[in-house]
Amino acid sequence: MSIDCNDRRRILLDGSSDEWAALEQHAKSCAACAKELRAWKQLSVAAGELRDYQESPALWSRIESSLRQQQAAPAPPKSFWIFLDSWRRISTAWRSALAGAMAILLAISSVYLYKHPARPVVNQGNALLKTSALAEVERTEREYISAIDKLAANTSPQLNVDTPLMASYREKLLVLDSAIADLRAQAGENPSYAHLHYQLLAMYQAKQQTLEDVLETKR
Amino acid sequence: MGSVGLALPWEHKLLAVARDGERRVESGKGQAETVRTSEEPPQDAAVAAACLSGNLQGYERLYQWQGKRMKNLARNLLGSPMDAEDAVQETFLKIQRSISGFRGQSSFVTWTFRILVNTCHDLRRSRVRRKDQVNEDVDSLPPHKELRAPGAHPSLRMALESALDRLSAHQRDVFLLYEVEGFRHAEIAGMLEISETASKNTLFQAKRNLRSMLEPPRSSATGAI
Ligand SMILES: [Zn+2]
Repeated sequence: MSIDCNDRRRILLDGSSDEWAALEQHAKSCAACAKELRAWKQLSVAAGELRDYQESPALWSRIESSLRQQQAAPAPPKSFWIFLDSWRRISTAWRSALAGAMAILLAISSVYLYKHPARPVVNQGNALLKTSALAEVERTEREYISAIDKLAANTSPQLNVDTPLMASYREKLLVLDSAIADLRAQAGENPSYAHLHYQLLAMYQAKQQTLEDVLETKR
Repeated sequence: MGSVGLALPWEHKLLAVARDGERRVESGKGQAETVRTSEEPPQDAAVAAACLSGNLQGYERLYQWQGKRMKNLARNLLGSPMDAEDAVQETFLKIQRSISGFRGQSSFVTWTFRILVNTCHDLRRSRVRRKDQVNEDVDSLPPHKELRAPGAHPSLRMALESALDRLSAHQRDVFLLYEVEGFRHAEIAGMLEISETASKNTLFQAKRNLRSMLEPPRSSATGAI
């Protein structure tokens, strides 16, 4: 196999083992490629310095007891939050299909929540917010909305790029927006229901994080 | 060899590392095949099944199999062994909460590390937010480093850690998963929900950036070409 300096980048990126062998061979008579190859391999060797597989004697027992506790705790009701919590773990291919299903689940969840308004979704204490707490929660919501608006403006050029990753982010944001709109409508009708606000805050947080993830891809 | 020049300031340390004989000796693509041990389908499926059945022994097997690697990745992402342990614990709890949603579209290990990486990102973000409230610049926030067990080459490790902190989160994830934890691009693609090509490109960019950060200024790089 005959290669030259122009092949180097491609081989470093994604060369076959034959191509690597050819690059090594070429580097014997090319100082530039030899230097590049050497630096490349050194990084891999240096990475070994970050490998520290020491035992953590107490960690498993800590994890085990928290798993036991969680297992013993009653399962929380299905909520938007749980669906969205698992969203990130679903492969891109599943997302499109699930986006439709999610809309239905959101509707079902809404009915559930409407019928079980006093049951807290997370351990957040009282189901009804007192006036002062409500004011505080609403203030936090406004802060989220303002932060999200700013973020959304910054991510807009990035989001509109036509890549599978961005398409997936756009889908996720659509689902989040739909959930937010739904929750806001419900919270509008029942402003003192704590669980609606907590879910709304969780939703805002998820949206903010998603937008930050989008921004992160640009860095 | 002398004619090539030693471009990187920590090169002599690397040679010492290579001489130890304990570390992988690079050849071919520069990745040691010995660390690509993540794909063991029979164990993967068995551990997933045990966890799905609700048996805590399933989680213990997962911990024994991948726990050290999980903690190592979390420590490199978060900069602190204590935060790393929290992240690993939180990951196990999340696995237990969502195991019924695992449908085998990726390996169980891939799925586990996807949750771990996301958990570390969330922890890192919440730390940034806390710092943000006291008006600190997000980009200048270092991970709070704690003392680790003494390594053979602390300064090399520190140089690399500090360079890694200046990479984008995406590049850092890919570099750590590939070069440190030994995952394949196909696995990383599943963990980070990107394509295999994107994983390869990101690794390339990460290494190029790290290289330029770790290289001395041109003027002092005697012998560099
Ligand atoms: Zn050349």
